[in-house]
Amino acid sequence: MSGVLRGRILVGGAIVAAVVLVGVYLAAGGSSYVPAKTQDPCRHRPWRNPEGIQAIAEQFSLSALDGAACRLGVSRETLAQALASPQARASFSRRYGIGDAKLAEAIRAGLVRAVDDAERAGALSPFLAAPLREAVRRIPLERAIELVKDARSLLDNAQTFLGPAGGLLERFLP
Amino acid sequence: MLVSFNLVMALAAVPAALVARRVGPGRTAAVGLAVFAGAGLACGLSDHLSTLIVARCVQALGGAAAVTAALELLPATVGSERRATAVWASAGATGAALGPAVGGILTELVSWQSIFLLQVPVAIAAAAPIFAVARHEAATGIVEPELRKTGRPHLLANLALAMVSAAIAAALFLLVLLLIEGWRLSPIGAAIVVSAMPLSALAGSRLGPLVPSARARAAAGAILVSGGLGGLALLPHAEVVLTLPPQILIGVGLSLVLSALTETALGGRAPQAIHGGWTISARHAGVVIGLLALTPIFTADIAQQRRDAIDAGTAVVLDSRVSPLLKIELAQRIEMRMEGERGRVPTIGPAFEPLPADPTERAAVLQLRGELQNQLDRGATHAFSPSFLLGALLGLLALIPIGLARRVSL
Repeated sequence: MSGVLRGRILVGGAIVAAVVLVGVYLAAGGSSYVPAKTQDPCRHRPWRNPEGIQAIAEQFSLSALDGAACRLGVSRETLAQALASPQARASFSRRYGIGDAKLAEAIRAGLVRAVDDAERAGALSPFLAAPLREAVRRIPLERAIELVKDARSLLDNAQTFLGPAGGLLERFLP
Repeated sequence: MLVSFNLVMALAAVPAALVARRVGPGRTAAVGLAVFAGAGLACGLSDHLSTLIVARCVQALGGAAAVTAALELLPATVGSERRATAVWASAGATGAALGPAVGGILTELVSWQSIFLLQVPVAIAAAAPIFAVARHEAATGIVEPELRKTGRPHLLANLALAMVSAAIAAALFLLVLLLIEGWRLSPIGAAIVVSAMPLSALAGSRLGPLVPSARARAAAGAILVSGGLGGLALLPHAEVVLTLPPQILIGVGLSLVLSALTETALGGRAPQAIHGGWTISARHAGVVIGLLALTPIFTADIAQQRRDAIDAGTAVVLDSRVSPLLKIELAQRIEMRMEGERGRVPTIGPAFEPLPADPTERAAVLQLRGELQNQLDRGATHAFSPSFLLGALLGLLALIPIGLARRVSL
């Protein structure tokens, strides 16, 4: 075999090997990766048929996060990470230039939206929703953050606050 | 720090070769190896970054002198100038592929300092036979007629060498980073994985002598390096085994292209040390340019990918079916692991321990853990893709000077 032919075979073999490798990896999904998109927090998400206080509390938390994130102009996920710990909150505050006052205002707005969403979904009667809305509008920041993390106490307190009348009225109101 | 050694090598190789021609290759190589060993010792003992960088720069000066002078000494050892060129070029290609693997193993088994300390006895052992040549040169002096007129360097071969070296630097540097920072392998684990490249380079060096055309070997090598880098850019999953086929292509390719281009740059040109100096300079300049061009792309991408992956992971947690209290707790633990890793992609498993006792919730948490780790791993892998693709493009662009080299006589 001549030297020229060997050279051509070598170059041809290299082209085939390179094309086959790239082709196989492309076919196996090598270019298909797209990071999971985070949704626009300003768009209302439908509630899944909530049953029981735990399910309501979960969707209440997510609605509150959406509402607060929408007000701050960040994603729900970014805000959830920020509320995970005081260090994360400080880091979020530095990165986005959002102080405690603005954060508190946004979280309160988020909680109000959560009450609205719960009422719209039929999870809260208007009789319960109205005082809850008023209560969360004046809530301190730390307590508001706790409520976003676990709204069960708020919903429990609402029941307690209204006492037997709440239960009675709930029978007549959706 | 990263490019200081390569930068000094690029700048000092040709002047070092000129010195070797003036004072004699034996004496230059002996002094070069002594400086290399001394600076290696200083690197191994340094406790500050600044002293380490200075020592590395001095080491590069010694290395430039030793490597270029060695090319003048080799014909006497291996029998002919042509054979000397082939041995010298092949040693350079194998060394380039072997470095990261050996460095990773030493770092894990001993320490990073051991990489430099080990160079000391190796350099001394290499210097021993050279001292005899140096003594002979001192006694007889340099024969002036040997100082032939220096011809022009082979521009196209050296240009192609620089471009291919930039691509290979991307392959070696970025793959090690992907394995350690992205996929959380230990340095020794990464070293074992990337050892596929030098092993393939050894296999490729056996292929070279079968094909006499240096141009064909250079073209095939550049295509293989580009194809391998393309494969690394398109990894379908974050799995070590998938890096092996691209590594094999890159290893064989770098062995073919580096030796073929070095032989082309040196072939028929005199003096060998000067033209060898030009090839060293081109290769290290390529590494510097490759790392300086690709590192900012890679660091910006990985920072963005990490943010995207964390957001995507948080979305997975928030949209999951696990109980709200557990969800918030998980989000907190995951955030803490992310912060603790400071830029590395974390192993997310421990954030999910202990698993819930309830079988339904346990299954939901395990599914969530899998989805989240997959998001993080694929995000980290994808972050390297643009840099690997740019490396592949550099390798393909090297085909232009390789193709022109036959048509243009320089």
